[in-house]
Amino acid sequence: MKSIFKILATFLIFCSAGCQKELHKTPIGIITEGVAPTNESVLYSVTSSYQLLSSTLNIIGEWGWDDGTVLRNDFILQDIASGDMLKKWNPDGDQAWMDQFSDFSFTASNAGIKGQWSYDFTGVARTNLSISYLTDDELTASLGIDDATKKNLLGQVYFLRAFYYFDLVNLYGDVPLITDPLKNFADAYNVAKRVPKEDVYKQISEDLDQAKTLIPDGKYSDNTEKWRVSKGAVLAMQAKVALYNKNWADVISIVTAMEGLNYYSLDANYFDNFNIDKEYAENEVIFAYDHESLTTPRTGNGLCALLGWGFVAPSPDFINAFEPNDPRLEYTVDIPGQNVYKFLGELNGVNKGNDDAPSNKIYIRWADVMLWKAEALNETGAYTDAINIINEIRKRARTSVAADGSQPPAGTLPDRDVTSTNKDQIKNWLVQERRVELGFESQRFNDLKRWDLAKTFLTGLGKNFQDKNYLYPIPQGEIDKSGGSITQNPGY
Amino acid sequence: MKKNLLNIRESVPKHSFRISVILFCLALMALTHNPVMAQDNSATVNVDKVISGKIVSDSGVPLSGVTVAEKNTGNATTTNEEGAFTISVPATSVLVISYVGYTAQELPVSGRTNFEITMISSDKTLSDVVVVGYTSQKKSSITGAVSSVNMNDLAPRRVPDVAQKLQGQVAGVQVTQSTGAPGDGINITIRGVGTIGSSSDPLFIVDGLPTTNISFINPADIESMTVLKDASAAAIYGARAAGGVIVIVTKSGKKGKTSLDVGYYYGTQKVANLPTMLNGTQYMDKMEESWNNSGYSGTNPYTADKSRTDLANTDWLKELFVPGHSQNLQLAASGGSDKIQYLISGEYYGQNGIVIYNNDQYQRLSLRTNINANVTDRFTIGTNLQLSNTLQDKISSSGDAPGVIRHAFIRPPVIPVYKDKDDPTYDPADPYTDLPFYSQNLAANGGTWNASANRYEFSSNPIALAAFTNDKRSNFKTFGSLYGEYAFLKDKELKLRTNLGIDMNMPHNKAFNQNFGDDDGGGADVDKGTGRQNRPTNLSEDRGQETTFTWTNTLNYNKKIQEHSFNVLLGTEFITNYSSSIGASRARYSDTDPAFQYIDFGAYPLDLWNGGSASEWSLFSLFGSVNYNYNNRYYATVSVRQDASSQFAANNQTATFPSFSAGWRISQEKFMQDVSWVSDLKLRVSTGKLGNQSGLSGYNSLAIYDPQGTLLRYGNPDLKWETTNQNDIGLDFGILQNRFSFSADYFQKTTSDLLLPLSLPDVVGNVQPTIVNAGEVSNKGFEFSVVYRENRGAFKYNINANIATVSNNVEKLDPNLPSIYGQVSKTAPGHPLNSFYGFQMIGLYQNQKEIDDYLTGAPHPDIKPGDIKFDDLNKDGIINDDDRTYIGNPNQRLTYGFNFLASYKNFDFSLLVQGVSGVDKYNDLKKIIDYDTRPFNHTVSTLNAWHGEGTSNTIPRSTFTDNGSSKTSSIFVEDASYMRLKNMEIGYTFTQFGKSHSILQNVRLYISAQNLLTFTKYTGLDPEPYNMFDQGTYPQSTAFLFGINIKL
Repeated sequence: MKSIFKILATFLIFCSAGCQKELHKTPIGIITEGVAPTNESVLYSVTSSYQLLSSTLNIIGEWGWDDGTVLRNDFILQDIASGDMLKKWNPDGDQAWMDQFSDFSFTASNAGIKGQWSYDFTGVARTNLSISYLTDDELTASLGIDDATKKNLLGQVYFLRAFYYFDLVNLYGDVPLITDPLKNFADAYNVAKRVPKEDVYKQISEDLDQAKTLIPDGKYSDNTEKWRVSKGAVLAMQAKVALYNKNWADVISIVTAMEGLNYYSLDANYFDNFNIDKEYAENEVIFAYDHESLTTPRTGNGLCALLGWGFVAPSPDFINAFEPNDPRLEYTVDIPGQNVYKFLGELNGVNKGNDDAPSNKIYIRWADVMLWKAEALNETGAYTDAINIINEIRKRARTSVAADGSQPPAGTLPDRDVTSTNKDQIKNWLVQERRVELGFESQRFNDLKRWDLAKTFLTGLGKNFQDKNYLYPIPQGEIDKSGGSITQNPGY
Repeated sequence: MKKNLLNIRESVPKHSFRISVILFCLALMALTHNPVMAQDNSATVNVDKVISGKIVSDSGVPLSGVTVAEKNTGNATTTNEEGAFTISVPATSVLVISYVGYTAQELPVSGRTNFEITMISSDKTLSDVVVVGYTSQKKSSITGAVSSVNMNDLAPRRVPDVAQKLQGQVAGVQVTQSTGAPGDGINITIRGVGTIGSSSDPLFIVDGLPTTNISFINPADIESMTVLKDASAAAIYGARAAGGVIVIVTKSGKKGKTSLDVGYYYGTQKVANLPTMLNGTQYMDKMEESWNNSGYSGTNPYTADKSRTDLANTDWLKELFVPGHSQNLQLAASGGSDKIQYLISGEYYGQNGIVIYNNDQYQRLSLRTNINANVTDRFTIGTNLQLSNTLQDKISSSGDAPGVIRHAFIRPPVIPVYKDKDDPTYDPADPYTDLPFYSQNLAANGGTWNASANRYEFSSNPIALAAFTNDKRSNFKTFGSLYGEYAFLKDKELKLRTNLGIDMNMPHNKAFNQNFGDDDGGGADVDKGTGRQNRPTNLSEDRGQETTFTWTNTLNYNKKIQEHSFNVLLGTEFITNYSSSIGASRARYSDTDPAFQYIDFGAYPLDLWNGGSASEWSLFSLFGSVNYNYNNRYYATVSVRQDASSQFAANNQTATFPSFSAGWRISQEKFMQDVSWVSDLKLRVSTGKLGNQSGLSGYNSLAIYDPQGTLLRYGNPDLKWETTNQNDIGLDFGILQNRFSFSADYFQKTTSDLLLPLSLPDVVGNVQPTIVNAGEVSNKGFEFSVVYRENRGAFKYNINANIATVSNNVEKLDPNLPSIYGQVSKTAPGHPLNSFYGFQMIGLYQNQKEIDDYLTGAPHPDIKPGDIKFDDLNKDGIINDDDRTYIGNPNQRLTYGFNFLASYKNFDFSLLVQGVSGVDKYNDLKKIIDYDTRPFNHTVSTLNAWHGEGTSNTIPRSTFTDNGSSKTSSIFVEDASYMRLKNMEIGYTFTQFGKSHSILQNVRLYISAQNLLTFTKYTGLDPEPYNMFDQGTYPQSTAFLFGINIKL
């Protein structure tokens, strides 16, 4: 009996030794540390770096309205804040956080403030990963990526990183500056510290210089994928950085250099910029996000879905800003049909409500760049040249066939007086021209801020714009998540 | 003994696992051939004698139907109406007297011929044995907080799910249904929620086998349910016991006469407590008023529309809810001899819910066999196996999209249910209206739908949603075990038991979403021109298999040496789980006939998806416990369990969960012997530690990447168990031979190292949160229960009441996660979990001056008299996010139940009242139907909306612009306390049948009612569902049932 007992007891104990080994399982179906990047993953790291510029729905988060991550928030943080745009045609309580940009009642907890921060920093993180791959010569050699392709791709991601940081400094001022992929979880807290805006600008300039060297000459960096960052886009960004830092001479010289390339000119018709049938087949667009329908993964324009729900409407003040018969008004918004043609990319409402629409999001176009030069010329006393540029823009507008097919009547948008030497007057013309030419293109609010006109203008509209609003607050969640190492902007 | 085991361990190589198994098998074979245990009936052969007797209850009432059997034979009889019996047995035999609800007795005949036998009621008697895990204990010796539920008393609860039966039965056990829809989930929380990232569900031990869901069990199969509430009772289950443990033992066959039970009931259900919505005329007046108040320019379109003749007057709620029905058929056969006992049972349950059409259904078919065989008198083997198939026709029972219930509330009454047959867009396959006045809109806009010309907002037709719901979720489950138990030593003091269990689920989900509704112009190019709902028609289907093996080995030693009693348990348990699934979806079905609702028939190549994945985990545990008692007066229990889990990295793989408890049975002390009215008095204290890992879905210690090499989540190599420390002090008190008994407990439960998903700062890019151990949540509370039984006389009754409090508090969170925001809630230290967080309404602005005097900090052109006035907490004259505060607590703070069972002669009656107090709910449905500023339908309460100074301080002006109702605020936080008459049943039992019908023992007929009355201040449909955010939830229905039980 005793021996049986011992055998059984032995069995009980040794079962444990056997079973313990079962606790070390090889993970099923997930990729953990130590996986070498493939050719495909390197290429994907570049493509995915672009993605945060899109208005595709839910590229980060799933219907994260409360996090502001359903789609990119430029139209809210820029156009609603500028007083040009209203949340909806019929005001209601839906997504009330968007309305808080109309009256500057937002706090650091606002979803849009968080959403834009998430988009830009996710963009930065993706470019960092991509740069780490493409600057690893051993890796690219082992994958057989040829030198020209590597340089081209690397130039593109340097540009994108600069682009995301440029948006961040304009919105939030000093921001954390991260240029390498994080190795582990604890590192996140080491990098979550704001650095002076100047340091961020320094990085932006360096990245753009790199991009300029690396991206090949030519109107497109890739003739089959025309949406990729081109040499012209890099130059334009350099000019824009110079403009925002009031380096007028640089603005003039860069734009003049761009003119010499002969890549860009004003389209004959104002709407050709936005027309989905003319994408990359016209002369004006310099940098845009290429929304496509029915791709996997999705790259369609989801802002059109919001239009179907009654979102995005012009403010009365914006409508009134247009001079009589200016065809640009109706190309921007069709008031009776409640259609935002600039977003829909066509002169009908067919894609209104489509969450996978093909219309592109334009970030830089030639008319915008020309007006930068005009501004720099005016600031440096070259008044006639400045006015000539403004008049070119006005001429193209008045000679565009209107949305209803008619020709604007004679006397529409007359030329500004080229003999004027009144700097302030010319500046006012410029301010006006940029507003209507670039309406709903997320330029106005930044313009108002850099011109120091935001308080005057927005207060004039009855809005509670305070000095602190020249910068948006740092998202409260970021301050919390960093344990306080990220600090808040003054006044919030 | 322990030393001995260790020596063996050291002397045998570690890889000898297989050798051990072989040895074990050999050992078992050797044991079964042991001649000592062979049957020995040959000693004496007696001549049968006729003996007679009378059997009465402990209160002196004659008992009929008592089984009197000769031990170890099939010879048996039952008592008649007067409690008398006669039986012919050998003079040296032993009589076994058994009766449901009474303690069985064995009496040696010893030559006597006449017996007067008193049966002792076994209900809640202190000698009752309670199964507390790997062992069972006498109730009197239990030192932890343990409540066992009398399943006989719960028979009148005609509910499909075992968990529902627990509702209102045990102090500190909160049972809530997620919705009233057939087959929707049920939540059990024991002593409050102590975790954020993990589940707080209890662990269920069904016939020794751990599982996390018990909805597959036929409630009628259950013999007993025991709730292990505190750490000392549950710690033997260690790492998975933080939510408490519920031990379920199913019925098994008994020696003696074969019995056959058949039961059937049929019930009908209907919706109750619907609010009154605006009718067509009232709605149009309301819209006209809202438009006028919105400050729009132009003419009011609703004024013109009021005179239209094509407006309907639809009561959508009335259209949606129809009577439902349920039915249940039970069959059970059991019996057995000394050698083998068996039970076979089968059940069908079917319910068709209260929403129109038959797409809200639940069905369960289950079959159970239970066989125990005494191979020798020391060696027992058995099997307990259940097969069940459940099928839910799942309707969207809560939430917004598609939210069948919600849309019935918000859809304007002026829209008819069906399109006019003359409507050019009428389709007999989809006759339902969708976009309001669709064909008129088309006609006015040149054949295209113009959303901006819609004045009646978007809502879905709830009748169409219900009609086109086709979402079937089934699960075939195999659950059961094989065991062998061998008793060693002279008095069988040492028992070795091995149990191999399987829990296998084979879920199959299939949803066919057929395109319907009107064309809103949207959709991809290929789908242009089709209806806006389920565009395009699609099918998704998946199948999975999840298998959990549990292998448990225990050694149990029982010894009594004079006044010292010991019970020592040692055991090992190995659990391994593997699950895999495969699924696919296709779209654009040209044929929607059910015969073509299969993956093969979807169009190619757009929008198709195939997928498959798997996961696994395992757990290995060593455990032991010692129960000691001195003279049934002083008790102590120590237990410890060590768990090792594959979910953690090697450095933190193992954790130890100890517990200690002690009891002092004061009533056994000498000084209490004179206090004869006190039959029991016991003081209990316990402390212990429990673990939780349910928040982990695998590999959380590792970083993971997508196939392109992009980091998806950082790993946390230091991840460890979530641990709960719990202390309990309790008192049990019984008087009048325990006819009255009372129990009280106070507990403190603190969960630390919470498994929290920690989102990194967004500056690192968009990555999934990393799970970290951070934070602490505490729960504390009191629990009281009272039982009073009156078993004497013809009128017998039994009152069982309980009440429990629990207060929840978040003690701390991670420094990098100072608070967690939900949709309408905030979790932060110093406040209960998921506290509602928002603005505090303090009234309505009555005039412009009031607004200007209040909102001094900023221009406020959009705020008008009649808008909601919120408390400006920081007094800066601006209402913004900084003025938010805590506005409610969604955690139940007080729960109670009251059971009353009575019988008079052949009548019986039972009643259950159950309630919750001190709980808030966010009534988002109220937000949309009472306060929303879109042209949805509203309740009649909005007829009293503010329409001028002094007219209302609670219901804001009707408008299409924001009147303040879009903010998360205290207006929508409502007290969801309720008291509900859950159950009432009246039955009559026929016992006297003529000789020709002697096969019938008894027949019971009953009628039963559920959810008959509800007392609540909550204005939503149903205060009971546990979702804290109520967007319109499928309500519990009032049900009436009729049933019959036949015993053969």
